[in-house]
Amino acid sequence: MPALLSRIRVLDLSRVFAGPFASQMLADFGADVIKVERPRVGDETRYHGERVRDGEGRETDVTAAFASMNRGKRSVTVDISRPEGQDIIRALAARSDVLIENFKAGELARYGLDYASLQAVNPRLIYCSITGFGQTGPRSGEPGYDLVFQAMSGVMSITGHPDGEPGAGPLRVGYSVSDITASYHAVVAILGALYAREAGVCSGQHIDVALLDTQIAAASHVAMQYLLTGVQPARLGSGSHFMAPYQVFQCSDHPLVILCGNDAQFRSLAKALGREDLAADLRCATNPQRLRHREWLAQEIQALVGTRPRAEWLEVFRGAGVPCAPIYDFAQAFDDPQVRHRNLVMSMPFGPTGSLPMIANPLRFSGTSPVYERPPPGLGEHTEEVCTNLLGMPPERIAALRREGIV
Amino acid sequence: MTCLSGVRVLDLSRVFSGPWAAQMLADFGADVIKVERPGRGDDVRQQGLRVKDAQGRETKETSSYLAMNRGKRSITVDLSHPEGQALIRDLARHSDILIENFKAGDLARYGLDYESLSAANPRLIYCSISGFGQTGPYRHLPGYDPIFQSMSGLMSITGHPDGEPLRVGYSVGDITAGFYAVAAVLAALRHRDVVSGQGQYIDLALLDAQVAAVSHVAMMYLVSGEQPPRLGNASPITCPWQSFDCSDGQIVVAVGNDTQFAAFCRVLGMPELAEDERFSTNRMRAKNQSELVPMLAAELAKRPVAHWQAAFQEVGVPSGPINGFAEVFADPQIQHRQMLMHLPHDEIGSVPQVANPVRFSATPIQYHRAPPLLGQHTDEVLTEVLGLDQATLERLRRDKVI
Repeated sequence: MPALLSRIRVLDLSRVFAGPFASQMLADFGADVIKVERPRVGDETRYHGERVRDGEGRETDVTAAFASMNRGKRSVTVDISRPEGQDIIRALAARSDVLIENFKAGELARYGLDYASLQAVNPRLIYCSITGFGQTGPRSGEPGYDLVFQAMSGVMSITGHPDGEPGAGPLRVGYSVSDITASYHAVVAILGALYAREAGVCSGQHIDVALLDTQIAAASHVAMQYLLTGVQPARLGSGSHFMAPYQVFQCSDHPLVILCGNDAQFRSLAKALGREDLAADLRCATNPQRLRHREWLAQEIQALVGTRPRAEWLEVFRGAGVPCAPIYDFAQAFDDPQVRHRNLVMSMPFGPTGSLPMIANPLRFSGTSPVYERPPPGLGEHTEEVCTNLLGMPPERIAALRREGIV
Repeated sequence: MTCLSGVRVLDLSRVFSGPWAAQMLADFGADVIKVERPGRGDDVRQQGLRVKDAQGRETKETSSYLAMNRGKRSITVDLSHPEGQALIRDLARHSDILIENFKAGDLARYGLDYESLSAANPRLIYCSISGFGQTGPYRHLPGYDPIFQSMSGLMSITGHPDGEPLRVGYSVGDITAGFYAVAAVLAALRHRDVVSGQGQYIDLALLDAQVAAVSHVAMMYLVSGEQPPRLGNASPITCPWQSFDCSDGQIVVAVGNDTQFAAFCRVLGMPELAEDERFSTNRMRAKNQSELVPMLAAELAKRPVAHWQAAFQEVGVPSGPINGFAEVFADPQIQHRQMLMHLPHDEIGSVPQVANPVRFSATPIQYHRAPPLLGQHTDEVLTEVLGLDQATLERLRRDKVI
């Protein structure tokens, strides 16, 4: 069966994070993703963070960050600040379905590579711009990174220890959630636009995705509390604004997350704890009541949970259908029987190290498998292949462009 | 013109990730039919804050429900009743996409699993969202967002270096799964219409999705065997990349490259730092964070947030205030982007909504419907889609099927 996005070509001018993560998803779905990088330098994430070691434990020049979001792509180096480089991009855009870029708003217009210019070359092109602040508005031209949007979207204001506790104050989410959130919006927007194009609703179009907007939208279920009441939701540590119990409890050895999503689960919890009286108690019969008496209830539960080790409680609660979970570090997460069963960690053959561990795409389709044919590419690894096969350039021409530093 | 005009989604999902996904499809123009339990409806109708109407009276509507159900039609159908099951089978015959998030195997008992429904409609795209997936040792376990925040390793990397693992303050695990569901059904839809002519089944697990979302941090573990530490508001690979105390509040600074670092140092009046070989490249700065950060912090503490914000904006150093929601919606950029909008609502009068952030040039998002009241469209949908007459509807209602 052909892949989900068979015969779809993506021209990926994006760097760093939100764009590359989005185009990796399209590559997993089987699109032909051409990653355009600056000659000799390449994507900044090639230099950021932990380096991958080879079989002998020697550091390679591949970073974990780059490897985590660039599989399935072909890397082509083109200097887009040079007119001949711009011609190459225009020629590639003419043969592509989707273009993704995350330059500062207005920057690509200087090179004649903005939507208006490329639409003239290819009216069916779906052109997705991902920026920090969007293509319009008072801050549209400014650069921005994940942390800025975690801060400005309100996400940090609701993450962290409650006021008055040690370590209180807004906290960052431990991964680049705003980049990832923008990626997801870009992917669904592109897929929506592709569907519209192929259903004949419209031709190509421009999509304007901003990290600030998308992070606000992602946290909208908490923002709605503010919008409807005018009151800023409190930071609750690991607690919830919506449910109780819903937090970390300390077993005699390890912490355990326990929560009840409905009243039936709370009755199961009470029974499993040997406190059926709690289920009958007016203070905790329904979720709104439990929320009101959250602290008292947590103390009652903690008193019992603290008497036995986590493994015992896990078995008891899972048997009773009470949602609960250990707090895993990555070693524990990847060792979990369910995670192993779902084959979430896979390995790809990889030149520099022999093989490369990767997190698999989490989607399981019955009819179409994800496509994992290419590991993260070396810088410019496919320049010749693409220039030859796609643009029909003779070898002399490619050699000349290379000499001049254009590719 | 919308992206998904003519596409019908039968949404059997409850609570969060499924409804969130279906709302995105509704924003994109699909006809989303939300199926709810007669009487009580979606569990999320009981969660979150109760909303007051214009006269200040409490309504039945809750903030959580209103955050993820716009653009849908609500119908009530009892799935445990054979006649209810027949109605769902008929609706599935007239739908392109079905989304459900029952526990694995639950719908098979009602003859509403993929096998049963695809027999009637081979073009149906059927997306199951569950906590742990349709297979594996935990497939039968219930799960909610914090379970997956804790099991994906996310909590282990969130929090202060010397503190305990912390939960992200919103249901990021649900939202992540919601996105994967949308991406999956849209790609499958295109594949059906352009390539195969066939629907398919999608098995999506919250645990899998959240592991994939943190994969760029998990990769650090996979390639080194070492657990990445919790860093509070700092970053392991970029510096300076954190919050700082100013004289009157906090600001975050995210310096992404060496040029920005030089500009940042000039604003601080410490240009020599950018020349110092301990700090001249990002790699060196990340390595020598403990030396660099106290110097920067001392300088930033001397002046207020607004001063630094203006100065950094001027020279292109990425920075921003740590906003509460009041500041979020008062921000000129956010206002310019019209991220806050209102929809007319029968009970509340007008309901605020956070807009869909995707800006399409050719198929702009259109908002026709506020989050529906429970069963608001039962008669409309069953008449329009299945052609049921008034007498049948009355009988079904009497028998508590709808």
